[in-house]
Amino acid sequence: MSEDFNDSKTIQAQSSETISGGGATPTPDIDYVRPAELPDQDLYHGHSFITKWVFCQDAKVIGVQYFLLATFTGIIGLILSWLMRLQLGFPGAAGFMTAEHYYQFVTMHGMIMVVYFLTALFLGGFGNYLIPLMTGARDMVFPYVNMVSFWMFFVAVGVLLASFFVPGGPTGSGWTLYPPQAILEGTPGSGMGIILMCVSLILFVAGFTMGGLNYLITVLQARTRGMTLMRMPLTVWGIFTATVLAMLAFPALLVSALMMTLDKVLETSFFMPTILKAGEVLEYGGGTPILFQHLFWFFGHPEVYIVALPAFGIISDLISVHSRKNIFGYRMMVWAIVVIGALSFFVWAHHMYVSGMHPWFGFFFATTTLIIAVPTAMKVYNWVLTLWRGNIRLNTVMLWCLGFIVTFVNGGITGIFLGNVTVDVPLSDTYFVVAHFHMVMGIAPLMVIMGAVYHWFPLVAGRMLSEKLGKWHFWITFLGAYSIYFPMHYLGFIGVPRRYFEMYDSPYITSAVGMNQFISTAAFIVGAAQFILIYNIIVSLKIGKPAGKNPWQANSLEWLTPTVPPEHGNWGDKLPVVHRWPYDYSVPGAKEDFIPQTTPPSEVVETKVEKT
Amino acid sequence: MSNFIKKLFGTLAEKPWEKEQAAIDSYHSGKTFNLSSQTSAVIVIFGISTVLFSLILTGYLYTIPPEQDTKFLFRPNLLWVNTIVLFFVTYFFNKITKDLKKNNTAKIKKNLILVGGLSYLFLFGQIFFWYQLMQDEKFVYTNTYFSSFYIFTALHGLHLLGGLFFWGKVCSKTLKLKQHDVISQKKSLSALSLYWTFLLIVWLIFFLVIYVFNDAFIAWCKAVLT
Repeated sequence: MSEDFNDSKTIQAQSSETISGGGATPTPDIDYVRPAELPDQDLYHGHSFITKWVFCQDAKVIGVQYFLLATFTGIIGLILSWLMRLQLGFPGAAGFMTAEHYYQFVTMHGMIMVVYFLTALFLGGFGNYLIPLMTGARDMVFPYVNMVSFWMFFVAVGVLLASFFVPGGPTGSGWTLYPPQAILEGTPGSGMGIILMCVSLILFVAGFTMGGLNYLITVLQARTRGMTLMRMPLTVWGIFTATVLAMLAFPALLVSALMMTLDKVLETSFFMPTILKAGEVLEYGGGTPILFQHLFWFFGHPEVYIVALPAFGIISDLISVHSRKNIFGYRMMVWAIVVIGALSFFVWAHHMYVSGMHPWFGFFFATTTLIIAVPTAMKVYNWVLTLWRGNIRLNTVMLWCLGFIVTFVNGGITGIFLGNVTVDVPLSDTYFVVAHFHMVMGIAPLMVIMGAVYHWFPLVAGRMLSEKLGKWHFWITFLGAYSIYFPMHYLGFIGVPRRYFEMYDSPYITSAVGMNQFISTAAFIVGAAQFILIYNIIVSLKIGKPAGKNPWQANSLEWLTPTVPPEHGNWGDKLPVVHRWPYDYSVPGAKEDFIPQTTPPSEVVETKVEKT
Repeated sequence: MSNFIKKLFGTLAEKPWEKEQAAIDSYHSGKTFNLSSQTSAVIVIFGISTVLFSLILTGYLYTIPPEQDTKFLFRPNLLWVNTIVLFFVTYFFNKITKDLKKNNTAKIKKNLILVGGLSYLFLFGQIFFWYQLMQDEKFVYTNTYFSSFYIFTALHGLHLLGGLFFWGKVCSKTLKLKQHDVISQKKSLSALSLYWTFLLIVWLIFFLVIYVFNDAFIAWCKAVLT
C-alpha cells in the first residue's frame, strides 16, 4: 500500500497503529489528508426486490434483517418466560403445563435470549449497521460472505424452532445442556430435541464466523482516511473486541455441540462415563461430563462479555452525545474493553464451583473473577464522570442510559458476591443467581438496546420515535424490571432453588408464594410494555417527525452521510475524510457544541482542546 | 511479534484529542496492516481454527484413560504416506508464491493443478485410512482415542475441502488467464498458500501427538498431572 504511494508530503511522527505508513515532515497545510491509495470498493447493487431486500449484500439491510429476526426470536423467548412465570406465580393456571414443558421452556428461553437474541442483535444487528458507517467504509469487505452469514443464522433459528414440533419436543436439559442427562432418556427432548439444538448451534457458529470475519477485517483494514483505531467511536471498539472474543470462544461451543451430537447419534463417549440405567450398563464409557462443562463455560463466560462489550461501547457513545461532553477517559475506556476481553478467558470455571473442582482451582478463578471487576468499575466511574457537569438532555435515550448504569451496578455487585467460592456455594442454584444474571446480562444490555434503538432509529428510518411513548416504555420497563429481580434476590437468600417446576409443600412456599405472584405479575406487565416500542416503531415509520440530518447533533460518521437513511455504498461519490476523534462536544471556543469528525481544523481554528 | 505488541501498546497510548496527535492521525491511510483482505481473512481463520483444533486435542488429553492401549493404530500405516503428500502440496504452493514474487509465471498453472490434485489425493488417503480402520473394527465409538482421531481428521478434512472450494474458484480464474496475466491473482494465491501451510502445521502437530509420539506424550502428560 503505502510504498506505492508517491507522496512528497511527509510527517515527523505517525500513528503508532500504522504498521506501514508514509513518511515524515510536517506540512503547513493543517487540513492535509493522505490521498486515497486503494481503488474504491466495487459493490454489487441489487435491482430486484429479492436481491435488494432478501438476499441483499448491503450491510445495513443485513443489519436490519439480523435485528428483526433476533427480535422475533426474542419475542418467543419472552412468551416462554411468561409461561414459566405463570407456572411459578400461579401453579396450575396454565392447564397444559407439565414439569417437562416447564424445563423445555426454561431451556429454550435461556438459549434463545443469550445466543439467538442478544448476541445476534448486538453483533449481527448493530455490528452490521454501524461498523461500515462509523468507520467510513462503503460496506463490509466481503459482502457476499456477510449475506451468507445472515442466512445461516436464519436456518439456525429455523432448526431451533423446528425442535418444538418434533416428537418429544425441544430439549429440556437447561440452557447449559449438561450431559449426560441432556442425551439420556428421562430428560425432556433427549431425542430429536437435543440433536436439533446442537445442529442449530453448529449452524449459528458457522454463520457467525462468516460475519465476524467481516467485522474484524472491515475494522482493521477498510477504515477511511484519517480514521485511526484510536479515533474510532467506542461502539466500534466494543463490537470489535466482542467479535474477537466470539471468534475465540465460539469454537468451544462448536466443539461441545459437535461432540454431544456424536455422543447422541454415533454413541461416542466424549462426555459419557460408564453409566447404569435401571441396573443395565449402557454402551457408553471412558468420557467425562466435566469436559463438557469446561468447554461450555470456556464459551459461556466470554459470551457474557460478547454481549456486554458492545453494550459498553454503545452506552459510552449515547452518554457522550446526550450529555454533550467528551467521554471521560477515552483511552481508559478502550483499555478497559481490551482488558475485560482478555480476562474473560480466565474466569470460566467460576460457573463450576460446585462441580467438585480442586479448592485451589476455585481460588484461582475467584481471584481472576474479582480482578475483572476493576476495569469494569472504571467504566462505570467514567460514565458517571462523563455525565458530571454535562449539558444533559433528559430524553428517552438518556433515560435508558441512566437505567443501564444503575442496573449494571446492581447486577455487577451481586456478581462480586457470587465470584467468591464461599459465598457462591450456598447461593448456587438459588434464585439469587437467576436475579444476578438477569440484572447484569439480561436487563442491563436490554436497556442499551432500547437506548440504541431510540438513538439510531432516526438514521435507519429517517423519522423520530415518539418521546412520549418512549418515556412510558422506559418507566414501565425500569420499575417493572426492579419489581421482578429485586425480590428474586431475597428468594435466593431464603434458599428457594431455581429450576423447580413447583414448590409443593416445602416450607419455602409460605414466604415465597406471595412474592412469586408479585414477580409474575410484574413480569407480565414488563413483557407487555415492550410492545409499546413495536407500536411506536410502526406508528413513527408512518407519521413520525422527519429526522433530517444529524438530529442529535452527533460527531460520529454515521450521521454525516449525504442521504438519510444512507444509501447502499453509504457515502455517495466521495468517501469521508476524518480529521478528529468523535468526542469533540462543548469544545471551548467552538461556535457550536459539537464538531463532526469530518470538520477540518481550518474551520475551527479558534477552538481550544479540552484535556481529558 | 514483539513489534506487533509494541505497535499495539503504542496505539492504545495515543491521545487522539490532542492537536499534535490529531495532526499525525490525519495522515493515516485507514489500514492497520499492510496485508490484502484475503490474507487478513486467512489469518483470522488461523486464529479460529487453532482454537478449534486445540480444544479437540485438549479434549483428547482430558479423556485419556488410565490404561491407554497404544496399539490402537496398526503400524506402519497410510498416515505416513498422507503426511508426505500434504508436505508436497505445501511445497508446490510455496513454489507458486516464490514464483509470483519473482514474476516468474511459467510454471504457476501447472503447479496450481498439481496442488489441487495432491490435496484430493490426501483426502482420498485419509478416507481410505478410515476404511482400513473400520475394517479392523476400530470405529468412532470404540473408545475416546478413536473418537478424537475421527473427529480431528474429519474437521481437518473439512478445512481442506473449504480451501479446495476457494482453490477451485481461483484456479478456474487463473487457468483462463494468459501466462503473464496470472500475476493478477497474486493476492488470492498467496492467501491460499498461507492457508495450506497452516493446514500442514495443524496436521503435523496432531500426527506427532496422537500417533508418532503417542506413548511419550501420554507419559509426559501424566507426569505433569501427577
